Amino acid sequence: MTCREAIEKLAEYLDADLTPEVLQQIDVHLEICAPCRAYVATYGKTRELVAKVRRMELPEDVKTRLRAFLVGHIAHTK
Amino acid sequence: MDGEVDDLSLLERLHAGDCGALEVLMGRYAARVHRLARGITRNAADAEEVVQDVFMTIYRKGESFEGRSALGSWIYRVTINAALNKRHGKRHEVETSIEEHLPGFDASGHRQGDLTYVLADWSQNPEAALLSEETRALLNRAIDSLPDHYRAVLVLRDVEDLPNAEIAEAIGESVASVKSRVHRARMALREQLTRHLGPRA
Repeated sequence: MTCREAIEKLAEYLDADLTPEVLQQIDVHLEICAPCRAYVATYGKTRELVAKVRRMELPEDVKTRLRAFLVGHIAHTK
Repeated sequence: MDGEVDDLSLLERLHAGDCGALEVLMGRYAARVHRLARGITRNAADAEEVVQDVFMTIYRKGESFEGRSALGSWIYRVTINAALNKRHGKRHEVETSIEEHLPGFDASGHRQGDLTYVLADWSQNPEAALLSEETRALLNRAIDSLPDHYRAVLVLRDVEDLPNAEIAEAIGESVASVKSRVHRARMALREQLTRHLGPRA
């Protein structure tokens, strides 16, 4: 397996969404390939950082305005 | 909690003007709609308008929602359409080609590039450094500069943690296409983080 083939399957590798044979081929490649080990580690961390940076709650002021907007509309149309 | 009340009966109650049902639906979906809308519009004011538009659609058209798919998927679909409409005409602002941020390979399919760069592993850097203001700002800019359809699937997969099949249903594309976009988006972000964080000096 080449680096290109291993990296192409990386998302599925991390989800274990591959046949056991392919998972094993990637594991074997990672054992001998330091650049791909670094790639897997930093790719996985990128995924974590995206979630941490973007997983914010609805700001209270936005929630308050949304509620007022909808309650006003519901009262008006009833 | 509100787990026992199903979405369909909440929609019926909302349509009848029950503000308690509105609160539960807001609790379940407003933050998710806002994150996705913010991800696509890249702008807090537009994202807020999209959230209001989406909840208005839920109020007006929710009663005709027949439950053939999950309400969440329908809401995501409505959100994506509303957010893309809001983006209409602003498409070329900061978008960059994703190709320039994909990894390079030589003719035999092995990683190509400066060895200190391809070996750079910043994944074990201290969390405080990985989540510093500077790195957050860089990552936010990198996400914002992804093409629209990459941003939407990235948010649904990595922020909302939806399965690929549910994202495919929400955006009306194949699972293979969703997987490919998520993977390319992550690779593009990883490349930009690596340029910023590694190789370590």
